[in-house]
Amino acid sequence: MTLLEATVLVFVIGCALATAVFRDILSVIVASAAYSLGIATLWVLLQAPDVALTEAAVGAGIMTLLFLLTVAKTVNPTTDRFFERIRPRTFVVLVCFLGVLLMTVPALPAIGDAGSPVVGGEVTNYYLDNAYEQTEVENVVTAVLAAYRGFDTLGEAAVVFTAGVAVLLVLRREAFV
Amino acid sequence: MSHDESTDGESSIRTQPRNSVFRTEDQTPYVESTIIMTTVRVVAPFILTLGLFVMFHGADSAGGGFQGGTIAGTVVLLLAFAFGIEPVRDWLNADRLLGLVAVGLLTFLGIGFGAMLFGGAFLQYNAYPYSHASKYGIELVELGIGATVAGIITGLFFLLAAGFETDEPMEDEQ
Repeated sequence: MTLLEATVLVFVIGCALATAVFRDILSVIVASAAYSLGIATLWVLLQAPDVALTEAAVGAGIMTLLFLLTVAKTVNPTTDRFFERIRPRTFVVLVCFLGVLLMTVPALPAIGDAGSPVVGGEVTNYYLDNAYEQTEVENVVTAVLAAYRGFDTLGEAAVVFTAGVAVLLVLRREAFV
Repeated sequence: MSHDESTDGESSIRTQPRNSVFRTEDQTPYVESTIIMTTVRVVAPFILTLGLFVMFHGADSAGGGFQGGTIAGTVVLLLAFAFGIEPVRDWLNADRLLGLVAVGLLTFLGIGFGAMLFGGAFLQYNAYPYSHASKYGIELVELGIGATVAGIITGLFFLLAAGFETDEPMEDEQ
């Protein structure tokens, strides 16, 4: 792990903790946006630009705006405390959960390991070998999303559509604007 | 953003004027700023272009319909932040926005079923009797996704901004 990766990782963990413990909702939203930006940087460092772009646009961009707008519609309860009060029970459960998750880390292959099942797998190699000939797009991620797994992506688009329609139904409106 | 009559009285005690983002009785979140308006006016065409680029070029580089649609939708949000939500709401055409969302999904479905008309399987792009049918099919699908995502994001933004009206006051307002 390079120094840059370590710095971004510490930043991301710090932002995630801040999101959890800050009392003021506005601070939480800002910390959450910073977290998304850090994660997006991490995806770029791990050479997953497609995911990074999504995280930056949706996580850091749109979600922050929508949260801010929602918060602007509410009233802010007065508080003297800066941090959320953390109950010991919650803390114990979280530490246990974290422990369980960390136990899976040694089982993961090293980043860029040529022998890892993802790199050497039959499916991966099939996509890498045939994606351009069969779909004529150079980005294999797009080839998988739109062609090989096109039906799943249609489902995703339908989910986005349904979410909008559901909000319209719940708010009993007939148009977005 | 107009202030809500139903919260008169109670909420003024509980709101904190410290954060200008939060609603107070005599103050709305919108601030008319020449700097913001000028910046948005300059930046908006470039962001829209970037959004379309990410959508179109998603086939050959990082990106795609979901990312590009989000970026393109952001342009309307930026305009709303700079020039006020109400003027932008009046400027947008509600039917066209709904149409954009529907057309996006229908494009995807249309390409899927169209392939069946030409004797292929559902979403089998190379069943179309055109050269580079796969590439153009995928590009169209990405555009369709982008249209749906951009429309939904814009719509959700305006729905959230409008809030909802109830005859009775909310429970936590007593």
